[in-house]
Amino acid sequence: MSLLKVNDLKIYYPIRGGFFRRVVDHVRAVDGISFELQPGETYGLVGESGCGKTTSGRAIIGLNNVTSGEMLFEGKDLAKMGRMERRKHTKDIQMIFQDPYSSLNGRKNVLNIIAEPLRNFERLSPKEELLRVQELVARVGLNPESIYKYPHQFSGGQRQRIGIARALALKPKLIIADEPVSALDVSVQAQVLNFMQEIQEDFGLTYLFISHDLGIIQHMCDRIGIMYRGRFVEEGTASEIYNNPMHVYTKRLIAAIPEMDPEKRFEKMHLRQSINQEYQNDYNNYFDKDGRMFDLKKISESHSVAMQ
Amino acid sequence: MKETVVLDEKQLIAQEKANNPSLLKTIWREIIHDKMALGSLILLAIILITAYSSPLFIDEVANKRVNFFNVWKAPSAEHWLGTDDGGRDVFGQLMLGTRNSFTIGICVTVLAGLFGLTYGLISGFYGGKIDNIMMRILDFLMVLPSLMFIIVFVTIVPNYTVFTFILIMGAFAWFGKARLIRARAMQERELDYINASRTMGTPSLKIMFFEMFPNLSSLVIVNMTLTLASNIGLETGLTFLGFGLPTGTASLGTLISYARTPDIVQNKWWVWLPAALLILVMMLCINYVGQAVKRASDARQRLA
Amino acid sequence: MLQFILRRTLIMIPQIILVSIIVFMLAKAMPGDALTGAFQGNPDVSQEQIQQIREKLGLNDPWYQQYGRWLANAVQGDFGQSYVHKQPVTHLLAGKVENTLLLSFFTLIVIYIIAIPLGIIAGRWTDSWADKVIVTYNYIGFATPVFVFALLMIYFFSFVLGWLPYGSSVDIKIEVGTWDYFVSRARHLILPVLSGSLIATYVTIQYLRNDIIDQKLKDYVKTARAKGVPEGKVYTRHILRNSLLPIAAFLGLEITGLIGGSIFIESIFSYPGLGYLFIQSIQTRDFTVVTALVLISSTAVIVGTMLSDIILSIVDPRIRIE
Repeated sequence: MSLLKVNDLKIYYPIRGGFFRRVVDHVRAVDGISFELQPGETYGLVGESGCGKTTSGRAIIGLNNVTSGEMLFEGKDLAKMGRMERRKHTKDIQMIFQDPYSSLNGRKNVLNIIAEPLRNFERLSPKEELLRVQELVARVGLNPESIYKYPHQFSGGQRQRIGIARALALKPKLIIADEPVSALDVSVQAQVLNFMQEIQEDFGLTYLFISHDLGIIQHMCDRIGIMYRGRFVEEGTASEIYNNPMHVYTKRLIAAIPEMDPEKRFEKMHLRQSINQEYQNDYNNYFDKDGRMFDLKKISESHSVAMQ
Repeated sequence: MKETVVLDEKQLIAQEKANNPSLLKTIWREIIHDKMALGSLILLAIILITAYSSPLFIDEVANKRVNFFNVWKAPSAEHWLGTDDGGRDVFGQLMLGTRNSFTIGICVTVLAGLFGLTYGLISGFYGGKIDNIMMRILDFLMVLPSLMFIIVFVTIVPNYTVFTFILIMGAFAWFGKARLIRARAMQERELDYINASRTMGTPSLKIMFFEMFPNLSSLVIVNMTLTLASNIGLETGLTFLGFGLPTGTASLGTLISYARTPDIVQNKWWVWLPAALLILVMMLCINYVGQAVKRASDARQRLA
Repeated sequence: MLQFILRRTLIMIPQIILVSIIVFMLAKAMPGDALTGAFQGNPDVSQEQIQQIREKLGLNDPWYQQYGRWLANAVQGDFGQSYVHKQPVTHLLAGKVENTLLLSFFTLIVIYIIAIPLGIIAGRWTDSWADKVIVTYNYIGFATPVFVFALLMIYFFSFVLGWLPYGSSVDIKIEVGTWDYFVSRARHLILPVLSGSLIATYVTIQYLRNDIIDQKLKDYVKTARAKGVPEGKVYTRHILRNSLLPIAAFLGLEITGLIGGSIFIESIFSYPGLGYLFIQSIQTRDFTVVTALVLISSTAVIVGTMLSDIILSIVDPRIRIE
């Protein structure tokens, strides 16, 4: 059974207008997406900013309200749960936030930050709590002496490790990582990413990895879903997406990855021109008359594309 | 490896405390670096210590006794600030009035602070419809001419006491605070540490008061110091008009309210002028200290 | 734009209705009603007869019926009879409104005449000696309670120096309409106006100073400087355009302040306006007058706030969006 199965998830925001502030239209932030996460895998959600990937992640953890659709976590629908019932699953799903500066409360020391989830769900004596926090801090590679320090005394990478330690505290099954390294220096990014892979093995975690950076997604993810304007344009394994992109949007994204080798620069430029040509010629294959994407269509066991 | 885990906890905590000075320490440092604020604080402390310790050297019972042989005496060695229409010592009343006015000012400020804080936090934290309704109510309350309403309430409330007076004043003093705190709470709400707390299953009330509030505390402290002065001003003003403290409870306003006839204003200045000047000095001192507190709460403005 | 004005005006209606209900409730809670005082000490009228008149006047009806009648009368300008003055409240007010409006108008004018230049000077030449003086003046203005200030003004200007009169709105025994009358009125206005305005300038000064300091660092100002706009014009053409307009938004706030201030100022100067009338009526328990005054002042503040919102929306298009 899949760990998480999202079915036709829709998140709309009303646009109000006119004299009585009536709802005149909706912003379709997420417009009917479906995907599955198998236990232990890393699933990547990619797309440009504003495409709905963060909104989807936040809906799964309960920070956004869902307009319609199902989110089956171990077979139970999170979308239909009441507040109390949902709380039981808080332990299983945790989140790593994008901004390591605003996601840690500057008024609390590391001990209090990491102990927060423990205090909500587990009754521990102060001594046990201290030991657990020290363990976690050591696990994420920070000095256990630093638990009385405050967030501003750490670097961005260290703060993100604190955020990860906090997410790990309840031993979750699924971690939603919302652009976990995009606020960090490139030199630190690789460190944190590799570390995330390490703990994935140790804790048997499943990741929903949200990013706009195709390079990082390729490095991290087993399967990938490409989002554009609230819908999926293509879904498949990492190698399928990178080696055999079918949708013109995916092709354009991949062609936009900077090329390090100057010899290949012209090659790349020609590739981009030919993709652009294709976009202009075959537009109707990819977008319907309203400019919306078609539904996903399977082209192989694991690969599907939104094409006519 | 095992050894590093076993550490002297107390020493560690103390060390980090030193690295992260509390707000109180920052305020103190700021005040010391601002001569006006330091002078104000010292002057204020002298006034308040004298006023609050006055029962030690002033006989209050004797001071309330009417003595018709001693009416309207000008300042002398015996009566430093002369006597009033009942032959009572003005200096003694001044001290008593300062004490009462300051205590009431503090009470009103704390009451209004608690109220405004709760209202603003709830409104800002939940946002959306709740915020909308709460803000409409606040908009409405803010347009009421509060001075008139306070006066009307003071007159029609049965069993009028100091306590009801504080309640009435407090009830009209929290609107601005609520709005201020709500605006900041709205900003904080968008930050991820609040979202993080929610994803970790922390109950809303706990998030409001244990996560959000510490980040707003400097704002609250600054606002309370600055409004303390205006609350004292309002209390003395109301008492001056005759709608403040119940008769029998002295306030600085009581002394100033003697200045109702030209004769007293001009020829018996010792009754009202010291109280008027004392209010002025106290307000200025509180404000100078308040400005220093304000700077301390904002790292960009700090002098120290 | 029109939509914003219309919506803003509509918000005002429930506010006024709510205020009127509250005022009505307060009026009911106040001791005495329309009959109090009318038959006081008249032995010819029995308790029974009073009951009959009460019934006839509808004083025993449910509150909402009474409220409806009261509101309908109030809208038509009928606030009932004053118990003390034994004349319609409307008559009583008519003579005072003019005085209060005059006082408030001049106070407002003086506030702006003082505050706007000082605010600009302090903002433009930050940390100069002029700025320091203005900031100190501001601290003092913010800290001083209006009644203390007014008393000190009287003490110095009327008693110690003897320059200006302090009581009433005009000298007695001067014929209405003459030049002397005009001069006397003007002289009587000076102290109340100055007492009300000199220490009420801090909102505007503080705002202007802070805003100009903020604007100075903005990119559009740097651009203007970079393309060679003279320093004076940077202020008149660029910064002040942005900084001065929102002052209109404080109008509503100023009106609230003026109503509160007028209670103190008018009763200290025995100036025959609405504020003084309010205090006198409360003291003599003349509650029909009190009710009328509270209702009128509340409405004035609500309308004032609405006007400043609308003015602000005209000068600053960003407000309209929300």
